[in-house]
Amino acid sequence: MAVSKPDFDYIANLARSQAAIVLEPGKEYLVENRLTPIAQQQGFGTLENLIAKLRSETGMTALHNRVIDALTTNETSFFRDFHPFESLRKEILPQLIEKRAGARQLTIWSAACSTGQEPYTLAMLLRENFPQLESWKVSIIATDLSPTVLQVATAGNYSQFEVNRGLPAPYLVKYFSKQGDRWHIKPELKRNIQFRPMNFIQPWPIMPPFDIVFIRNVMIYFDVETKKQILKRIRNCLLPHGYLFLGTAETTINLDPELVPMTVGRATVFQTKPALVGAPA
Amino acid sequence: MINLDDLARQANNLEPLPASTVRLAGLVGSQHADLEDICEVIAYDQALTMKILRAANSAADAGESAVSQVHEAVFRLGGSRILALAMSASTRWMLQAGVPAYGLSEGALWRHSVAAASAAETISFFAAESLPPETFTAALLHDVGKLVMGRFLSPFDLQMIYRAQSEGGLDPLSAERQILEVHHGELGGIIAQHWKLPELIVKGITYHHTPGEGFDIICDAVYAANLVAKRIEDPSCIAALDPEVIERLGLAESRLEELAVSARQQFETVSNRYNTE
Repeated sequence: MAVSKPDFDYIANLARSQAAIVLEPGKEYLVENRLTPIAQQQGFGTLENLIAKLRSETGMTALHNRVIDALTTNETSFFRDFHPFESLRKEILPQLIEKRAGARQLTIWSAACSTGQEPYTLAMLLRENFPQLESWKVSIIATDLSPTVLQVATAGNYSQFEVNRGLPAPYLVKYFSKQGDRWHIKPELKRNIQFRPMNFIQPWPIMPPFDIVFIRNVMIYFDVETKKQILKRIRNCLLPHGYLFLGTAETTINLDPELVPMTVGRATVFQTKPALVGAPA
Repeated sequence: MINLDDLARQANNLEPLPASTVRLAGLVGSQHADLEDICEVIAYDQALTMKILRAANSAADAGESAVSQVHEAVFRLGGSRILALAMSASTRWMLQAGVPAYGLSEGALWRHSVAAASAAETISFFAAESLPPETFTAALLHDVGKLVMGRFLSPFDLQMIYRAQSEGGLDPLSAERQILEVHHGELGGIIAQHWKLPELIVKGITYHHTPGEGFDIICDAVYAANLVAKRIEDPSCIAALDPEVIERLGLAESRLEELAVSARQQFETVSNRYNTE
Protein backbone atom coordinates (compact mmCIF):
# COMPACT_ATOMS: atom_id res chain seq x y z
CA MET A 1 0.00 0.00 0.00
CA ALA A 2 2.02 2.98 -1.25
CA VAL A 3 1.26 6.34 0.34
CA SER A 4 0.79 9.32 -2.01
CA LYS A 5 2.69 12.54 -1.41
CA PRO A 6 -0.39 14.53 -0.31
CA ASP A 7 -1.32 11.73 2.09
CA PHE A 8 2.22 11.49 3.43
CA ASP A 9 2.28 15.26 3.95
CA TYR A 10 -1.03 15.09 5.81
CA ILE A 11 0.29 12.37 8.14
CA ALA A 12 3.59 14.22 8.63
CA ASN A 13 1.72 17.41 9.60
CA LEU A 14 -0.55 15.47 11.95
CA ALA A 15 2.42 13.82 13.65
CA ARG A 16 4.30 17.09 14.01
CA SER A 17 1.36 19.16 15.26
CA GLN A 18 0.05 16.59 17.74
CA ALA A 19 3.22 14.91 18.99
CA ALA A 20 6.21 16.90 17.65
CA ILE A 21 7.23 13.82 15.67
CA VAL A 22 9.28 14.78 12.62
CA LEU A 23 8.63 12.66 9.52
CA GLU A 24 10.86 13.77 6.66
CA PRO A 25 10.52 12.78 3.00
CA GLY A 26 12.13 9.36 2.66
CA LYS A 27 10.11 8.00 5.58
CA GLU A 28 7.15 6.98 3.44
CA TYR A 29 7.99 3.33 4.05
CA LEU A 30 7.67 3.93 7.80
CA VAL A 31 4.23 5.45 7.43
CA GLU A 32 3.16 2.52 5.28
CA ASN A 33 4.65 0.00 7.70
CA ARG A 34 3.03 1.47 10.78
CA LEU A 35 -0.39 2.39 9.33
CA THR A 36 -1.11 -0.50 6.96
CA PRO A 37 -2.05 -2.81 9.88
CA ILE A 38 -4.49 -0.17 11.15
CA ALA A 39 -6.04 0.22 7.70
CA GLN A 40 -6.49 -3.56 7.50
CA GLN A 41 -7.72 -4.07 11.07
CA GLN A 42 -10.22 -1.21 10.87
CA GLY A 43 -11.62 -2.44 7.56
CA PHE A 44 -10.49 0.48 5.39
CA GLY A 45 -8.83 -1.79 2.86
CA THR A 46 -6.24 0.75 1.78
CA LEU A 47 -4.06 3.40 3.39
CA GLU A 48 -5.67 5.93 1.09
CA ASN A 49 -9.10 5.16 2.55
CA LEU A 50 -7.79 5.34 6.11
CA ILE A 51 -6.21 8.73 5.52
CA ALA A 52 -9.34 9.98 3.71
CA LYS A 53 -11.30 9.11 6.85
CA LEU A 54 -8.80 10.97 9.03
CA ARG A 55 -9.09 14.04 6.81
CA SER A 56 -12.89 13.95 6.91
CA GLU A 57 -13.05 14.11 10.72
CA THR A 58 -12.83 17.37 12.62
CA GLY A 59 -10.62 17.49 15.68
CA MET A 60 -8.73 14.57 17.15
CA THR A 61 -10.71 11.35 17.15
CA ALA A 62 -9.86 7.93 18.53
CA LEU A 63 -8.65 6.99 15.04
CA HIS A 64 -6.30 10.01 14.93
CA ASN A 65 -4.92 9.02 18.33
CA ARG A 66 -4.43 5.45 17.18
CA VAL A 67 -2.47 6.67 14.16
CA ILE A 68 -0.29 8.93 16.34
CA ASP A 69 0.27 5.98 18.66
CA ALA A 70 1.41 3.80 15.78
CA LEU A 71 3.89 6.43 14.59
CA THR A 72 5.48 6.88 18.00
CA THR A 73 8.76 5.05 18.54
CA ASN A 74 8.58 3.15 21.80
CA GLU A 75 12.02 1.62 22.09
CA THR A 76 13.02 1.04 25.70
CA SER A 77 14.57 -1.60 27.94
CA PHE A 78 15.28 -2.37 31.59
CA PHE A 79 18.43 -0.70 32.95
CA ARG A 80 18.90 0.93 29.57
CA ASP A 81 22.49 2.16 29.06
CA PHE A 82 23.37 0.71 32.49
CA HIS A 83 25.74 3.50 33.66
CA PRO A 84 23.06 6.05 34.68
CA PHE A 85 21.62 3.48 37.07
CA GLU A 86 25.06 2.68 38.46
CA SER A 87 25.61 6.38 39.08
CA LEU A 88 22.23 6.60 40.77
CA ARG A 89 22.96 3.59 42.95
CA LYS A 90 26.52 4.42 43.93
CA GLU A 91 26.53 8.20 44.27
CA ILE A 92 23.40 10.16 43.50
CA LEU A 93 20.83 8.37 45.64
CA PRO A 94 23.10 8.14 48.72
CA GLN A 95 23.65 11.91 48.44
CA LEU A 96 19.97 12.68 47.93
CA ILE A 97 18.91 10.42 50.79
CA GLU A 98 21.27 12.31 53.08
CA LYS A 99 20.00 15.71 51.87
CA ARG A 100 16.34 14.71 52.14
CA ALA A 101 16.67 12.93 55.49
CA GLY A 102 14.52 15.55 57.15
CA ALA A 103 11.61 15.45 54.71
CA ARG A 104 11.96 11.67 54.10
CA GLN A 105 10.50 12.13 50.66
CA LEU A 106 11.78 11.30 47.19
CA THR A 107 10.02 12.12 43.92
CA ILE A 108 11.19 10.85 40.56
CA TRP A 109 9.80 11.55 37.10
CA SER A 110 10.25 9.04 34.30
CA ALA A 111 9.20 11.15 31.30
CA ALA A 112 8.30 9.42 28.03
CA CYS A 113 8.30 6.16 29.98
CA SER A 114 7.01 4.14 27.01
CA THR A 115 6.01 0.61 28.08
CA GLY A 116 7.23 1.11 31.64
CA GLN A 117 10.65 -0.53 31.76
CA GLU A 118 12.35 2.63 33.06
CA PRO A 119 10.05 3.33 36.04
CA TYR A 120 10.08 -0.35 36.97
CA THR A 121 13.88 -0.30 36.75
CA LEU A 122 13.93 2.63 39.16
CA ALA A 123 11.55 0.82 41.50
CA MET A 124 13.72 -2.32 41.48
CA LEU A 125 16.90 -0.32 42.02
CA LEU A 126 15.40 1.44 45.04
CA ARG A 127 14.06 -1.76 46.60
CA GLU A 128 17.30 -3.69 46.05
CA ASN A 129 19.72 -1.07 47.31
CA PHE A 130 17.91 1.31 49.66
CA PRO A 131 15.66 -0.64 52.03
CA GLN A 132 15.56 2.40 54.34
CA LEU A 133 13.30 4.10 51.78
CA GLU A 134 10.53 1.66 52.70
CA SER A 135 9.48 4.14 55.41
CA TRP A 136 9.81 7.19 53.13
CA LYS A 137 7.27 8.73 50.81
CA VAL A 138 8.68 7.61 47.46
CA SER A 139 6.80 8.55 44.28
CA ILE A 140 7.73 7.58 40.75
CA ILE A 141 5.61 9.55 38.27
CA ALA A 142 5.77 7.91 34.85
CA THR A 143 4.30 9.76 31.88
CA ASP A 144 3.88 9.13 28.17
CA LEU A 145 2.01 10.52 25.22
CA SER A 146 0.60 7.19 24.08
CA PRO A 147 -2.43 5.73 25.90
CA THR A 148 -1.61 2.34 24.39
CA VAL A 149 1.87 2.11 25.86
CA LEU A 150 0.66 3.48 29.19
CA GLN A 151 -1.80 0.60 29.30
CA VAL A 152 1.05 -1.83 28.72
CA ALA A 153 3.17 -0.08 31.34
CA THR A 154 0.38 -0.13 33.90
CA ALA A 155 -0.26 -3.82 33.28
CA GLY A 156 3.47 -4.60 33.63
CA ASN A 157 3.07 -7.62 31.39
CA TYR A 158 6.07 -8.35 29.15
CA SER A 159 7.16 -10.69 26.40
CA GLN A 160 10.27 -12.86 26.61
CA PHE A 161 12.07 -10.42 24.31
CA GLU A 162 11.31 -7.52 26.59
CA VAL A 163 12.49 -9.16 29.82
CA ASN A 164 15.65 -10.31 28.03
CA ARG A 165 16.56 -6.70 27.28
CA GLY A 166 18.76 -5.48 30.10
CA LEU A 167 17.07 -7.25 33.01
CA PRO A 168 19.49 -9.24 35.21
CA ALA A 169 18.28 -12.82 35.67
CA PRO A 170 18.04 -12.53 39.49
CA TYR A 171 15.67 -9.58 39.11
CA LEU A 172 13.51 -11.52 36.68
CA VAL A 173 13.14 -14.28 39.25
CA LYS A 174 12.54 -11.89 42.14
CA TYR A 175 10.21 -9.31 40.65
CA PHE A 176 8.29 -11.15 37.94
CA SER A 177 5.94 -14.11 37.76
CA LYS A 178 5.59 -16.17 34.60
CA GLN A 179 2.10 -16.68 33.29
CA GLY A 180 1.96 -18.63 30.04
CA ASP A 181 4.45 -17.08 27.62
CA ARG A 182 4.49 -13.71 29.40
CA TRP A 183 6.19 -12.22 32.45
CA HIS A 184 4.19 -10.13 34.93
CA ILE A 185 5.59 -7.53 37.30
CA LYS A 186 4.76 -8.44 40.90
CA PRO A 187 2.25 -6.07 42.54
CA GLU A 188 4.63 -4.82 45.24
CA LEU A 189 6.81 -3.20 42.58
CA LYS A 190 3.92 -1.14 41.24
CA ARG A 191 3.07 0.40 44.58
CA ASN A 192 5.04 3.64 44.30
CA ILE A 193 4.49 4.20 40.57
CA GLN A 194 1.76 6.35 39.01
CA PHE A 195 1.32 6.21 35.25
CA ARG A 196 -0.15 9.37 33.70
CA PRO A 197 -0.75 10.58 30.14
CA MET A 198 1.23 13.62 29.10
CA ASN A 199 2.10 15.31 25.81
CA PHE A 200 5.17 17.60 25.95
CA ILE A 201 3.82 19.99 23.36
CA GLN A 202 0.42 20.45 24.91
CA PRO A 203 -0.43 22.05 28.28
CA TRP A 204 1.35 20.19 31.05
CA PRO A 205 -0.60 18.77 33.99
CA ILE A 206 0.32 20.07 37.44
CA MET A 207 3.55 18.35 38.40
CA PRO A 208 5.18 18.05 41.83
CA PRO A 209 8.78 19.22 42.29
CA PHE A 210 11.21 16.42 41.44
CA ASP A 211 14.44 15.15 42.91
CA ILE A 212 15.28 13.19 39.76
CA VAL A 213 14.00 13.52 36.21
CA PHE A 214 14.62 10.95 33.49
CA ILE A 215 13.84 12.16 29.97
CA ARG A 216 15.99 9.92 27.81
CA ASN A 217 16.13 9.35 24.08
CA VAL A 218 13.01 11.36 23.32
CA MET A 219 14.33 14.90 22.85
CA ILE A 220 16.05 13.74 19.63
CA TYR A 221 12.64 13.73 17.96
CA PHE A 222 11.92 17.42 18.66
CA ASP A 223 13.11 20.58 16.94
CA VAL A 224 15.42 23.01 18.76
CA GLU A 225 12.74 25.42 19.98
CA THR A 226 10.64 22.59 21.41
CA LYS A 227 13.70 21.14 23.16
CA LYS A 228 14.45 24.50 24.74
CA GLN A 229 10.90 24.90 26.00
CA ILE A 230 10.79 21.39 27.44
CA LEU A 231 14.13 21.77 29.22
CA LYS A 232 13.10 25.11 30.68
CA ARG A 233 9.91 23.64 32.08
CA ILE A 234 11.77 20.64 33.49
CA ARG A 235 14.31 22.95 35.13
CA ASN A 236 11.45 24.80 36.77
CA CYS A 237 10.17 21.63 38.42
CA LEU A 238 13.55 20.30 39.47
CA LEU A 239 14.28 20.66 43.19
CA PRO A 240 17.55 22.21 44.38
CA HIS A 241 20.26 19.55 44.15
CA GLY A 242 17.94 17.61 41.84
CA TYR A 243 19.29 15.64 38.88
CA LEU A 244 18.29 15.43 35.23
CA PHE A 245 19.18 12.42 33.10
CA LEU A 246 19.11 12.62 29.30
CA GLY A 247 19.99 9.99 26.71
CA THR A 248 23.70 9.21 26.31
CA ALA A 249 23.93 11.20 23.07
CA GLU A 250 21.85 14.12 24.33
CA THR A 251 22.90 17.38 25.97
CA THR A 252 21.60 20.71 27.23
CA ILE A 253 24.51 22.60 25.69
CA ASN A 254 23.23 25.33 23.35
CA LEU A 255 19.72 24.59 24.59
CA ASP A 256 19.62 25.60 28.25
CA PRO A 257 22.75 27.11 29.83
CA GLU A 258 21.11 26.94 33.27
CA LEU A 259 21.36 23.15 33.21
CA VAL A 260 24.97 22.19 33.73
CA PRO A 261 26.44 18.80 32.78
CA MET A 262 28.58 16.88 35.21
CA THR A 263 30.11 13.42 35.21
CA VAL A 264 28.98 11.03 37.92
CA GLY A 265 30.66 7.65 37.59
CA ARG A 266 30.40 6.85 33.88
CA ALA A 267 27.23 8.83 33.29
CA THR A 268 26.60 12.46 32.41
CA VAL A 269 23.90 14.09 34.50
CA PHE A 270 22.63 17.65 34.66
CA GLN A 271 21.88 19.98 37.54
CA THR A 272 20.73 23.57 37.79
CA LYS A 273 23.58 26.05 38.09
CA PRO A 274 24.85 26.23 41.67
CA ALA A 275 24.35 30.01 41.63
CA LEU A 276 20.61 29.55 41.36
CA VAL A 277 20.37 27.27 44.36
CA GLY A 278 19.21 29.30 47.37
CA ALA A 279 18.72 32.47 45.29
CA PRO A 280 16.10 34.81 46.74
CA ALA A 281 12.59 34.55 45.22
CA MET B 1 3.97 -5.92 12.34
CA ILE B 2 4.97 -9.29 13.68
CA ASN B 3 3.58 -10.84 16.82
CA LEU B 4 6.54 -11.12 19.18
CA ASP B 5 4.87 -13.74 21.35
CA ASP B 6 4.33 -15.94 18.27
CA LEU B 7 7.95 -15.41 17.26
CA ALA B 8 9.19 -16.41 20.70
CA ARG B 9 6.92 -19.44 20.57
CA GLN B 10 8.49 -20.50 17.24
CA ALA B 11 11.92 -20.25 18.83
CA ASN B 12 10.81 -22.27 21.83
CA ASN B 13 9.41 -24.99 19.56
CA LEU B 14 12.79 -25.79 18.02
CA GLU B 15 14.10 -29.28 18.63
CA PRO B 16 16.06 -29.38 21.88
CA LEU B 17 19.78 -30.04 21.94
CA PRO B 18 21.12 -33.43 23.06
CA ALA B 19 21.44 -33.65 26.82
CA SER B 20 25.19 -34.32 26.55
CA THR B 21 25.73 -31.05 24.64
CA VAL B 22 23.74 -29.02 27.16
CA ARG B 23 25.59 -30.63 30.05
CA LEU B 24 28.94 -29.92 28.39
CA ALA B 25 27.97 -26.28 27.91
CA GLY B 26 27.29 -25.98 31.62
CA LEU B 27 30.55 -27.69 32.55
CA VAL B 28 32.88 -25.78 30.23
CA GLY B 29 32.01 -22.42 31.76
CA SER B 30 31.85 -23.69 35.32
CA GLN B 31 34.70 -22.96 37.71
CA HIS B 32 33.91 -26.16 39.61
CA ALA B 33 34.04 -28.64 36.73
CA ASP B 34 37.16 -30.66 35.98
CA LEU B 35 38.48 -32.85 33.21
CA GLU B 36 36.82 -35.97 34.61
CA ASP B 37 33.39 -34.37 34.53
CA ILE B 38 33.81 -33.45 30.86
CA CYS B 39 35.18 -36.91 29.99
CA GLU B 40 32.25 -38.57 31.70
CA VAL B 41 29.72 -36.64 29.62
CA ILE B 42 31.53 -37.43 26.37
CA ALA B 43 32.00 -41.09 27.21
CA TYR B 44 28.23 -41.61 27.46
CA ASP B 45 27.69 -40.21 23.95
CA GLN B 46 29.19 -42.53 21.36
CA ALA B 47 28.79 -40.20 18.39
CA LEU B 48 30.35 -37.34 20.32
CA THR B 49 33.20 -39.59 21.44
CA MET B 50 34.01 -40.46 17.84
CA LYS B 51 33.88 -36.83 16.79
CA ILE B 52 36.17 -35.69 19.61
CA LEU B 53 38.72 -38.43 18.94
CA ARG B 54 38.73 -37.70 15.21
CA ALA B 55 39.23 -33.99 15.85
CA ALA B 56 42.07 -34.63 18.29
CA ASN B 57 43.83 -36.76 15.70
CA SER B 58 43.19 -34.42 12.77
CA ALA B 59 46.06 -32.72 10.97
CA ALA B 60 45.31 -29.47 12.77
CA ASP B 61 45.48 -30.94 16.21
CA ALA B 62 47.69 -34.03 15.94
CA GLY B 63 50.43 -34.12 18.49
CA GLU B 64 53.38 -36.44 18.59
CA SER B 65 51.19 -39.46 19.01
CA ALA B 66 47.67 -40.48 18.13
CA VAL B 67 45.11 -40.35 20.92
CA SER B 68 42.68 -43.16 21.52
CA GLN B 69 41.27 -42.21 24.88
CA VAL B 70 38.67 -39.57 25.60
CA HIS B 71 40.64 -37.91 28.39
CA GLU B 72 43.67 -37.58 26.11
CA ALA B 73 41.52 -35.95 23.43
CA VAL B 74 39.93 -33.61 25.94
CA PHE B 75 43.33 -32.62 27.30
CA ARG B 76 44.66 -31.96 23.79
CA LEU B 77 41.67 -29.97 22.52
CA GLY B 78 40.57 -28.12 25.63
CA GLY B 79 37.07 -27.51 26.94
CA SER B 80 36.19 -24.62 24.62
CA ARG B 81 36.95 -26.55 21.47
CA ILE B 82 35.22 -29.65 22.82
CA LEU B 83 32.08 -27.62 23.40
CA ALA B 84 32.24 -25.99 19.97
CA LEU B 85 32.64 -29.43 18.37
CA ALA B 86 29.72 -30.86 20.31
CA MET B 87 27.63 -27.85 19.39
CA SER B 88 28.55 -28.10 15.71
CA ALA B 89 27.55 -31.78 15.68
CA SER B 90 24.21 -30.88 17.26
CA THR B 91 23.35 -27.87 15.12
CA ARG B 92 25.06 -28.39 11.78
CA TRP B 93 22.01 -30.00 10.20
CA MET B 94 19.82 -26.99 10.90
CA LEU B 95 22.44 -24.32 10.18
CA GLN B 96 23.08 -25.92 6.77
CA ALA B 97 19.62 -24.86 5.59
CA GLY B 98 19.23 -21.96 3.20
CA VAL B 99 17.60 -18.80 4.56
CA PRO B 100 16.23 -16.97 1.49
CA ALA B 101 14.88 -14.10 3.61
CA TYR B 102 18.48 -13.20 4.44
CA GLY B 103 19.82 -14.01 0.98
CA LEU B 104 21.57 -17.14 2.30
CA SER B 105 21.79 -20.16 0.03
CA GLU B 106 22.07 -23.68 1.41
CA GLY B 107 25.26 -24.06 3.39
CA ALA B 108 26.02 -20.32 3.50
CA LEU B 109 24.88 -19.82 7.10
CA TRP B 110 26.90 -22.87 8.20
CA ARG B 111 30.05 -21.63 6.46
CA HIS B 112 29.67 -18.20 8.06
CA SER B 113 29.07 -19.78 11.49
CA VAL B 114 32.22 -21.91 11.21
CA ALA B 115 34.18 -18.90 9.97
CA ALA B 116 33.01 -16.94 13.02
CA ALA B 117 33.99 -19.76 15.39
CA SER B 118 37.47 -19.99 13.88
CA ALA B 119 37.73 -16.17 13.92
CA ALA B 120 36.90 -16.26 17.63
CA GLU B 121 39.75 -18.72 18.15
CA THR B 122 42.15 -16.37 16.36
CA ILE B 123 40.93 -13.32 18.27
CA SER B 124 41.61 -15.13 21.54
CA PHE B 125 45.31 -15.24 20.61
CA PHE B 126 45.48 -11.58 19.61
CA ALA B 127 43.37 -10.10 22.41
CA ALA B 128 45.08 -8.88 25.57
CA GLU B 129 41.93 -9.70 27.53
CA SER B 130 41.21 -13.35 28.13
CA LEU B 131 37.99 -14.60 26.58
CA PRO B 132 35.57 -16.92 28.34
CA PRO B 133 35.58 -20.56 27.13
CA GLU B 134 32.01 -20.14 25.83
CA THR B 135 33.18 -17.64 23.20
CA PHE B 136 33.80 -20.09 20.38
CA THR B 137 30.36 -21.64 20.83
CA ALA B 138 28.63 -18.26 20.98
CA ALA B 139 30.42 -17.31 17.76
CA LEU B 140 29.36 -20.58 16.11
CA LEU B 141 25.71 -19.96 17.00
CA HIS B 142 25.58 -16.18 16.71
CA ASP B 143 23.25 -16.13 13.68
CA VAL B 144 20.98 -19.01 14.70
CA GLY B 145 18.16 -16.47 15.08
CA LYS B 146 18.12 -15.99 11.32
CA LEU B 147 16.81 -19.55 10.90
CA VAL B 148 13.59 -18.82 12.76
CA MET B 149 13.27 -15.17 11.71
CA GLY B 150 13.71 -16.08 8.07
CA ARG B 151 10.79 -18.52 8.19
CA PHE B 152 8.58 -16.12 10.14
CA LEU B 153 8.74 -12.97 8.05
CA SER B 154 6.01 -12.19 5.54
CA PRO B 155 6.73 -10.73 2.08
CA PHE B 156 5.41 -7.39 3.44
CA ASP B 157 7.89 -7.49 6.35
CA LEU B 158 10.77 -8.30 4.00
CA GLN B 159 9.78 -5.50 1.65
CA MET B 160 9.64 -2.99 4.51
CA ILE B 161 13.05 -4.08 5.84
CA TYR B 162 14.48 -3.66 2.35
CA ARG B 163 12.91 -0.21 1.99
CA ALA B 164 14.14 0.88 5.41
CA GLN B 165 17.62 0.27 4.03
CA SER B 166 17.20 1.57 0.50
CA GLU B 167 14.94 4.56 1.26
CA GLY B 168 15.63 5.15 4.94
CA GLY B 169 19.37 4.67 4.65
CA LEU B 170 19.42 2.26 7.58
CA ASP B 171 21.91 -0.58 8.00
CA PRO B 172 20.37 -4.10 8.00
CA LEU B 173 20.24 -4.40 11.80
CA SER B 174 18.67 -0.98 12.33
CA ALA B 175 16.15 -1.79 9.61
CA GLU B 176 15.20 -5.00 11.44
CA ARG B 177 14.79 -3.11 14.69
CA GLN B 178 12.74 -0.32 13.19
CA ILE B 179 10.38 -2.53 11.20
CA LEU B 180 10.11 -5.58 13.44
CA GLU B 181 10.91 -4.06 16.87
CA VAL B 182 13.25 -7.01 17.39
CA HIS B 183 16.40 -8.30 15.68
CA HIS B 184 17.80 -11.73 14.89
CA GLY B 185 20.41 -11.51 17.66
CA GLU B 186 17.66 -11.25 20.28
CA LEU B 187 15.82 -14.13 18.69
CA GLY B 188 19.03 -16.16 18.73
CA GLY B 189 19.33 -15.39 22.45
CA ILE B 190 15.86 -16.81 23.04
CA ILE B 191 16.79 -19.94 21.09
CA ALA B 192 19.91 -20.31 23.24
CA GLN B 193 17.76 -19.98 26.37
CA HIS B 194 15.36 -22.60 25.01
CA TRP B 195 18.37 -24.86 24.53
CA LYS B 196 19.32 -24.22 28.19
CA LEU B 197 22.72 -22.86 27.25
CA PRO B 198 24.69 -20.78 29.78
CA GLU B 199 23.89 -17.12 30.21
CA LEU B 200 27.22 -16.05 28.65
CA ILE B 201 26.41 -17.85 25.40
CA VAL B 202 22.95 -16.25 25.42
CA LYS B 203 24.57 -12.84 25.86
CA GLY B 204 27.21 -13.39 23.18
CA ILE B 205 24.50 -14.29 20.67
CA THR B 206 22.00 -11.60 21.70
CA TYR B 207 24.45 -8.70 21.55
CA HIS B 208 26.70 -9.77 18.67
CA HIS B 209 25.68 -6.65 16.69
CA THR B 210 25.33 -4.33 19.69
CA PRO B 211 28.18 -5.32 22.04
CA GLY B 212 27.96 -2.01 23.88
CA GLU B 213 24.55 -3.05 25.19
CA GLY B 214 25.79 -6.40 26.49
CA PHE B 215 28.37 -5.16 28.99
CA ASP B 216 30.41 -8.34 28.71
CA ILE B 217 33.58 -9.16 26.82
CA ILE B 218 31.96 -12.17 25.17
CA CYS B 219 29.69 -9.75 23.30
CA ASP B 220 32.72 -7.83 22.04
CA ALA B 221 34.45 -11.05 21.00
CA VAL B 222 31.48 -12.44 19.06
CA TYR B 223 30.88 -9.04 17.43
CA ALA B 224 34.51 -8.99 16.28
CA ALA B 225 34.38 -12.65 15.21
CA ASN B 226 31.32 -11.92 13.05
CA LEU B 227 33.07 -9.07 11.23
CA VAL B 228 36.29 -11.04 10.79
CA ALA B 229 34.26 -13.98 9.47
CA LYS B 230 32.76 -11.71 6.79
CA ARG B 231 36.29 -10.73 5.83
CA ILE B 232 37.28 -14.42 5.67
CA GLU B 233 34.39 -15.11 3.31
CA ASP B 234 34.92 -11.98 1.24
CA PRO B 235 38.40 -10.40 1.48
CA SER B 236 37.06 -7.24 -0.16
CA CYS B 237 34.72 -6.71 2.80
CA ILE B 238 36.38 -4.02 4.94
CA ALA B 239 33.87 -3.32 7.70
CA ALA B 240 35.88 -1.71 10.48
CA LEU B 241 35.76 -2.89 14.06
CA ASP B 242 34.28 -0.42 16.53
CA PRO B 243 37.23 1.35 18.23
CA GLU B 244 35.62 0.87 21.63
CA VAL B 245 35.45 -2.89 21.04
CA ILE B 246 39.10 -2.91 19.94
CA GLU B 247 39.99 -1.17 23.18
CA ARG B 248 37.90 -3.45 25.39
CA LEU B 249 39.38 -6.58 23.80
CA GLY B 250 42.89 -5.17 24.08
CA LEU B 251 43.58 -5.59 20.35
CA ALA B 252 46.45 -3.70 18.79
CA GLU B 253 45.26 -1.60 15.84
CA SER B 254 48.54 -2.22 14.09
CA ARG B 255 47.91 -5.98 14.15
CA LEU B 256 44.34 -6.05 12.87
CA GLU B 257 45.39 -6.89 9.35
CA GLU B 258 47.58 -9.68 10.67
CA LEU B 259 44.59 -10.91 12.69
CA ALA B 260 42.44 -11.04 9.55
CA VAL B 261 45.10 -13.03 7.65
CA SER B 262 45.60 -15.44 10.55
CA ALA B 263 41.86 -15.92 10.90
CA ARG B 264 41.59 -16.89 7.26
CA GLN B 265 44.43 -19.40 7.61
CA GLN B 266 42.87 -20.77 10.78
CA PHE B 267 39.53 -21.19 9.00
CA GLU B 268 41.08 -23.10 6.12
CA THR B 269 42.99 -25.30 8.53
CA VAL B 270 40.23 -26.16 10.97
CA SER B 271 37.03 -26.02 8.92
CA ASN B 272 37.25 -29.77 8.45
CA ARG B 273 37.04 -30.12 12.21
CA TYR B 274 33.54 -28.66 12.17
CA ASN B 275 32.43 -30.40 8.99
CA THR B 276 33.36 -33.95 10.00
CA GLU B 277 30.34 -36.21 10.24
